[in-house]
Amino acid sequence: MVSLLHRSGRRHLLRHRWQSALAILGITLGVAVVLAVELANQSARRAFALSLEQIEGRVSHRLVGVGGTLDENFYRQLRRADGLREIAPVIEGEVVLHGERFKLLGLDPLAERPLRSLLPKLDSLQLRTLMTTPDTVLLPYASAARLAIGTNDRIELEIAGERRSVTVAGIAGDSGTAVPDGLLLADIASAQTLLRMPGVISRIELRLNDDDVRKLAARLPAGMRLERAGRRDSTSRALSDAFQTNLSAMSLLALLVGAFLIYNAMTVSVLQRRAQFGTLRLLGVTRGELFRLLLGETLLIGAFGSVLGLLLGWLLAQGLVTLVARTINDLFFSLRVSSLMVQPLDLFRGGLLGILTTLAATLLPALEAARSEPIVVSRRSELETRAHRAVPWLALAGIVSLLAGGAMLVLFRDGLLAGFVALFLLIIGYSLCVPGGVLLITRALQPLTERFGGIGTRLAVRGISASLSRTGLAVAALTLAVATTLAMGTMISSFRTTVSDWLEQTLQGDLYLSLPERANAAAAAQLISDLHRLQGVRELSMGRSRPLELATGQVRLLALQTASRSHRGFTFKGHTLASLWPRFHAGELLLVSEPYAYREHLQAGDSMTLPTPAGPVEFLVGGVFHDYGTNPGLLVMAMSSYRHHWRDQRISTLGIFLHSGQPWEPTISAIRRLTASFGEGASLAANGEIRARSLALFDRTFTVTRVLRLLVVLIAFVGILSAFMAMQLERSREYATLRATGLTPGELLRLVVVQSALLGLLAGVLALPLGWLMGETLIEVINLRSFGWTLQSLLPLPLLGEALLLALSASLLAALYPALRLSRLPPAAAMREE
Amino acid sequence: MKHLLLLAIALLCGCVEAPPPALSGAPGVPAGWGNEGFLRADRPRAFSFPEDHGPHDGYRSEWWYLTGNLRDRSGRRFGYQFTAFRIALLPQPTPQRGSAWSASHIWMAHLALTDVAGERHHHDERFAREALGLAGAQAEPLRVWVEDWQLSQSAFERPWQLRAASDRFTIELQLAPAHPPRLQGEAGLSRKGRDPGNASYYYSITRLASAGRVRIGDDEFLVDGDSWLDREWSTSALDPDQAGWDWFSLQLDDGSDLMFYRLRDRGGNASPQSAGNLFLADGRRIALRREDVTLTPRRWWRSDDGRSYPVAWTLTLNGPARRFEIEALMDAQLMALSVRYWEGAIEVREAGDRVGHGYLEMTGY
Repeated sequence: MVSLLHRSGRRHLLRHRWQSALAILGITLGVAVVLAVELANQSARRAFALSLEQIEGRVSHRLVGVGGTLDENFYRQLRRADGLREIAPVIEGEVVLHGERFKLLGLDPLAERPLRSLLPKLDSLQLRTLMTTPDTVLLPYASAARLAIGTNDRIELEIAGERRSVTVAGIAGDSGTAVPDGLLLADIASAQTLLRMPGVISRIELRLNDDDVRKLAARLPAGMRLERAGRRDSTSRALSDAFQTNLSAMSLLALLVGAFLIYNAMTVSVLQRRAQFGTLRLLGVTRGELFRLLLGETLLIGAFGSVLGLLLGWLLAQGLVTLVARTINDLFFSLRVSSLMVQPLDLFRGGLLGILTTLAATLLPALEAARSEPIVVSRRSELETRAHRAVPWLALAGIVSLLAGGAMLVLFRDGLLAGFVALFLLIIGYSLCVPGGVLLITRALQPLTERFGGIGTRLAVRGISASLSRTGLAVAALTLAVATTLAMGTMISSFRTTVSDWLEQTLQGDLYLSLPERANAAAAAQLISDLHRLQGVRELSMGRSRPLELATGQVRLLALQTASRSHRGFTFKGHTLASLWPRFHAGELLLVSEPYAYREHLQAGDSMTLPTPAGPVEFLVGGVFHDYGTNPGLLVMAMSSYRHHWRDQRISTLGIFLHSGQPWEPTISAIRRLTASFGEGASLAANGEIRARSLALFDRTFTVTRVLRLLVVLIAFVGILSAFMAMQLERSREYATLRATGLTPGELLRLVVVQSALLGLLAGVLALPLGWLMGETLIEVINLRSFGWTLQSLLPLPLLGEALLLALSASLLAALYPALRLSRLPPAAAMREE
Repeated sequence: MKHLLLLAIALLCGCVEAPPPALSGAPGVPAGWGNEGFLRADRPRAFSFPEDHGPHDGYRSEWWYLTGNLRDRSGRRFGYQFTAFRIALLPQPTPQRGSAWSASHIWMAHLALTDVAGERHHHDERFAREALGLAGAQAEPLRVWVEDWQLSQSAFERPWQLRAASDRFTIELQLAPAHPPRLQGEAGLSRKGRDPGNASYYYSITRLASAGRVRIGDDEFLVDGDSWLDREWSTSALDPDQAGWDWFSLQLDDGSDLMFYRLRDRGGNASPQSAGNLFLADGRRIALRREDVTLTPRRWWRSDDGRSYPVAWTLTLNGPARRFEIEALMDAQLMALSVRYWEGAIEVREAGDRVGHGYLEMTGY
């Protein structure tokens, strides 16, 4: 009996191989996307953790200067007077190699050993070269292999805008040992010269016990801070984590869409076999056996789909990991992931996720099948009645879920997880309401089609509500799929528009001139007075930007001497203090970027203490401004105030405002002549250039999100195809009856096509509010909580059109095959089919 | 001679794995590291003090090597060792490149304290580049330092001062030379290999009256005793087939001091360059060649890493017929540092009676 049962199950799967294949494809794609994102994320995390482990080694603390650097003599003092042994100096800077961002680490090989083993096993000749030949570096094995660079090669580095040629003294590590990719190692003397940091180092890394910490902390000079290792970059890491969480959530969304589709496929498959199950029950098959048969079938589909999903996901991940790493590298911190780091557990989890999702999605249909009564033909109408009766309850559950989601957003104002839970509640709630919506809309349409439509159209519309058990579900699945693509599209385009507007607003100057860090104050002052004398120059704004170590991590401090137009460059969030600009110029106020203010719960009127070389100074926050730069925090103060507290007269950037209506070229050439003495480090860029560059970077960092969205679109398309095709095929018998009662093949074709199009349109329309809701939640809740950014939310028309088009085209394509098949088949044969 | 711990350079900063049988590879020159441009110890030279107490930068390596036997008032016995090694990266100063970190020399220092009653041998090491004042040496007044370890002299002919502290122990001594420097080898040129350039300049102060204190943990001991200073600089010394050495310094109660090193080849045989000197109390020197000394190990000690070192010897002088029974004050005096070797305080007996003390260094086992 059992084998008969299994044979019948197998027969069914084989006879409906299109249907089975599409169900498998749904699972495959869902699992593949989740797994790919998971693998990419995990690889990025592992690469980061590994590089951190390598870079931090056994370091327990770091000694940093509040101004970003330390006097190198303090290191000697610690070594000689304090007898501290497990300490090492580090000079760190960013360089560009082959267009990629690398971290240049200057180390003292002799001080490294107690702390870490970053430096490879060099032969003594390499060590000597590294220590005595200027401008020599070591390249990690992974980077060298990737960029095809070998020992003794000369490579070009771009350091703070200058091109420097260095020699590769050796390769650090080999394929077996993981010296992190994306790192350049140099002797500290070379690094100091290359990065032009005479007399200073970036930090001292230490391995200290509690006793040492107390002693050292007690006698630390002003302007230095001892912090626990791992604290550094914690803000960047939190942001990066938020980014990765977002990706994971989106991949789960893809799986949810997939699950819906499986649910649909399995429901249809149960419906198709009602009669068969009735017969089986007559033959003595128990409910349990039937239930197990269905679960077994599902397990087979789920397992098969999952295995394929794992393979596909692994392939996808190869590409995705590069994109994820690049985004992290562009936005948060230097990270290179040379290879996918797959752990068996990831694969196991991915597979399990696919199978569990499939099982969960089949539970209801399987229970449905198990309820089959032992009669030859269970009545279809009874099923539909039941489906209709369930509609209000489903809608009620949906409304409860929507309310719960809304309530969560209101009640839990913080926390990314709460945001995502709320988002998923909203999605599920809305989807549960969809069958009700379908019913209401078709009922509203019915009087219209009765009057104006032909027989095909009328049958099509009536058929939708008459077979709600299938159509409701298919439309819900389709709605979710389309809404997801719409929401992601909305988020991306809102983000881009916001950034683009912000850039336009922020970049008030016509030209921007950035000066190298080494440019001294006198030269800059001379340059400024020369610039003022130039014909075309109307006004100048001046900025000094530098890193600032706060207890909460590193931020950037920007001191500004504004031009008359500069103020327009700031848009504020919420209220600002009265007479903001006069008080700002008087040096009383500090302006704080939104991401930092969001994270630290700051608003206008709060006070904030900054470490200055002369000790801590309290500032009043005058306002919180929008900022979409990559900084975890930007603080802006008046130049006069900065110079007073920091005793630093240097200039980092100049905003140049030109007289309108005059040609720029002569002025630009004159400026270039004036800045020639600053060397390559001085760079001049027009407003538009900077904007274009920034947007290009933005687009690059959003590539991964776009790719993910495309994947969701793909899944949605395949899902709609499978759901609709299954639905139409399942109704073959019904159609055959219609043919037998006189419907022409043409009329039938029209019936099927119209119904499909209608369903597609219905789903498309229903997807719009959900897409909007999800988009809003992503923008207003998820992004704000992840990154502290307020974005303008936009719902661009093309995206709406795209959503409708997606729904329509997929549903029409899905109708094509069943319609053609049915219209060709003689009615008698079709009736025999079932 | 002794202390040819030159290849320490290769082991510095763990950049190269320690060769499994300590130093048994090719001691001396790290592979690929040519001697071009460095001065060679290939002819006798005139020594001049105090200048020669200071560094000789044109030679590849150089060391200041202090060992000594100390006692506190209750008779508790200690042995100590302090060594500063200078290793040149380049024959000439590294080109100036706008960084106070740029260095032409690197330094390694070893410090050890044998606490016989406590049955402990404490040891530690330091590495530093000669830059930013982290390490260095100068002749007048003498100052040799590696981070917070320092051997110095306030002025010429004043006592020397050693101050060095590790996490667990501290040594602070005043060292007063009992006689002017004594030249080893042929007027200070000490041949170590068949190749004429394989030699070093080598002088010793075989007795420095030493007084001061040592601290172990929270316990402090006021101590006095005898120290021995070895100074040596060279560019290349050992022949490639030399596998290790045994170096003896004996300070005898009759006022005479004996230094002898036996260079062993891979077969364990003493090479012809093995040599030493016996300085009599009246200052007369008796040169010792390989044939003049017979060394016989009497007892072996096995260290944790499985290597065995002879910690009791019979040293027989064939000329002025004398037979010394040499025994380590403590077996476990292994310097388990970047370079592993056995170096420790010894007691010297003759016909059953204690006749002196000294230090023994053994490598290549």
